[in-house]
Amino acid sequence: MLRILLVEDDAATAAYVKRGLAEAGHVVDHAADGQEGLFLATGGGHDVLVVDRMLPKLDGLSLVRALRAAGVMAPALFLTARAGVGDRVEGLDAGGDDYLAKPFAFAELVARINALGRRPAFQAEPTVLRLANLEMDLVRRTVTRAGQRIALQPREWRLLEFLLRRKGDVVTRTMLLEGVWDFHFDPQTSVVETHVSRLRAKLDKGFDRPLIHTVRGAGYVVRDDG
Amino acid sequence: MTAEPRPGFVRPGFLRHGLFRTTAFRLTALHLALTLAGTALLAAIAWWATVGFATRQASEEIDRGMRVLGQSAALSGLRGVALSIEARLAADRAGVEYYLLAAPDGQRLVGNLASAPPELGWQRLDVSRAGGDVVPVLALGARLAGGATVFVGRDLSSVQALEQRLLAAAGWVGLGAVVIGLAGGLLIGRGIARRTAAMDAALAAVGAGDLGRRLPIAGRDDEFDRLSFRINAMLDRLGAVMAALRSVTDDIAHDLRTPLTRLRQRLDEVSRAATAAAAKEAAAAAEAECDAILDLFAALLRIAQVEAGAQRSAFARVDLSAVVESVAEVYAPAAEERGQVLSAGIAAGLAAVGDRALITQMLANLVENAIRHGRDGGHVRLLLSPLGEGAEVIIEDDGPGIPAEERERVFRRFHRLDAARATPGSGLGLALVRAVAALHGMTVTLEDAGTGPGPGPGPVPGPGPGPGLRVRVELPRVVD
Repeated sequence: MLRILLVEDDAATAAYVKRGLAEAGHVVDHAADGQEGLFLATGGGHDVLVVDRMLPKLDGLSLVRALRAAGVMAPALFLTARAGVGDRVEGLDAGGDDYLAKPFAFAELVARINALGRRPAFQAEPTVLRLANLEMDLVRRTVTRAGQRIALQPREWRLLEFLLRRKGDVVTRTMLLEGVWDFHFDPQTSVVETHVSRLRAKLDKGFDRPLIHTVRGAGYVVRDDG
Repeated sequence: MTAEPRPGFVRPGFLRHGLFRTTAFRLTALHLALTLAGTALLAAIAWWATVGFATRQASEEIDRGMRVLGQSAALSGLRGVALSIEARLAADRAGVEYYLLAAPDGQRLVGNLASAPPELGWQRLDVSRAGGDVVPVLALGARLAGGATVFVGRDLSSVQALEQRLLAAAGWVGLGAVVIGLAGGLLIGRGIARRTAAMDAALAAVGAGDLGRRLPIAGRDDEFDRLSFRINAMLDRLGAVMAALRSVTDDIAHDLRTPLTRLRQRLDEVSRAATAAAAKEAAAAAEAECDAILDLFAALLRIAQVEAGAQRSAFARVDLSAVVESVAEVYAPAAEERGQVLSAGIAAGLAAVGDRALITQMLANLVENAIRHGRDGGHVRLLLSPLGEGAEVIIEDDGPGIPAEERERVFRRFHRLDAARATPGSGLGLALVRAVAALHGMTVTLEDAGTGPGPGPGPVPGPGPGPGLRVRVELPRVVD
């Protein structure tokens, strides 16, 4: 359960996001303009801020800048109707932690909010990532499953590391495209699917318990179902 | 009461808009003033060199004559002066010298002046001659010891005649300058006015909506022609932009009909679904259609943004080798799915200034095209090599290729080859490629892969169903 502050002026979008996040088990505070958002956010106690870029009274960029200046470090996700490349960079420069263009799939928003909400846990850098009998040694750069060595190409390595660091969380296609390949656009070809299925084939070959699961309509999750 | 212009009578533009408000008139007036000033200066110099010179000469002669008479007076008194005067008058055959010796009471003693002028010193006299005509005389009068006065003079009538002719000539020259200048100014003004009126009319027509109208070119390659040429080029460019915009609008309207129609059908299926499960499935399909439409809009917006050049602010050093490498890596499995081999030949250490995300997307689009339209089980090659001061990226497939006459058209939004209509795609990929290339000053050329040199390492594409397509992306400059 996360406490989320949603700063969004469009009532329909706000209601939609609020309901969906509540269903996902989160508590949502809502501010309809930038000033109210600033007021609520400085009150503190939020795990994640979801901020629309274009807001009445105080725009989203200025809001997050003001919060960062005031020492509010809760991770912020920008929602925006503007899908330009420069806009994304601007948002991140202003102190945002993630960026999602409208319209978005709800699963995408939830996955990103979850990822942001968990972020502090990663600050203690682990040297070995584990899942069931899979072991990824980040120092010796080896992957083994049940003691058997699995050879990975560099990109497969980064893909697996990205997934294992978020084990149990849904990771969407776009999160993978951005995080693993630094692709900030949506390719027409199913590149993510092919890469994941190849990685899956390498990891699960000879084992009957799959580790990488497809979440329909959302993305992937690595999880030990046993 | 104001006079109405007669119907059918149209005054020339420079009169209709007021002669004094034309540039030609102002230039003519200025030119005229300068010409007149020049004429006056010339006349003054001529006067100084002729009339002035002759007058100075006369006064020197008078001075000399007076000195001689003064010496005569000193040597032999009034008698000597009188003799001297008589001798000189006798010697003056031209009749231009005047002398007078007068007693202290003013009575003429000797000389050809009727009476003594009232004043001494330098003066101008009008002397009546025997024939009745009056001549101008420059004279000098002095008083001798004993009270008698003596006058020496010279006839200035020839000098005066010269002066009059000079003044008349200057007057004629001035008058001629004024007349010729005015006539020339009028002619030039009319010429300029006629040309500006033609430009004015053409521009007014364009402004009124006749977008095909162009400014007339006289063919003289003068400043008007150059200006007209520039304005015409500008109008051409605007026309092209507007035509492009119109075709984009048409295309959008047309190409959105298909997915919107499909969306409508899906929603129809939802409302007519017999079971909840069927309704859910139809709703999911409708959602997917919506996403496709939104993707189309996002792609259009991105192209428009890139074309507007707004992204240049995000330019930075881009490691081209790494970008090409990562595109090759990302797409290798996708090519394998189609039984294709994606081979890469990437020169290390090449970098350029640009937008990394856009360059990545551009190359990804081209590789995607090569995979999608290439031959099943064929080859796709991705090469990066230095070229002059810049670099060149080549993407090659051994598919059907693109006919030469289609190569320009495929870059347009929504343009799809007939052969490609069966495969999925928005028809926007190459439009974005062109926009990104233009933003970075790169050139993109399409050619048959079977022709020309096939540079770089990697397997040469084998025989396919067509000539294959080679896309060359040339970057003008690389950086360290």
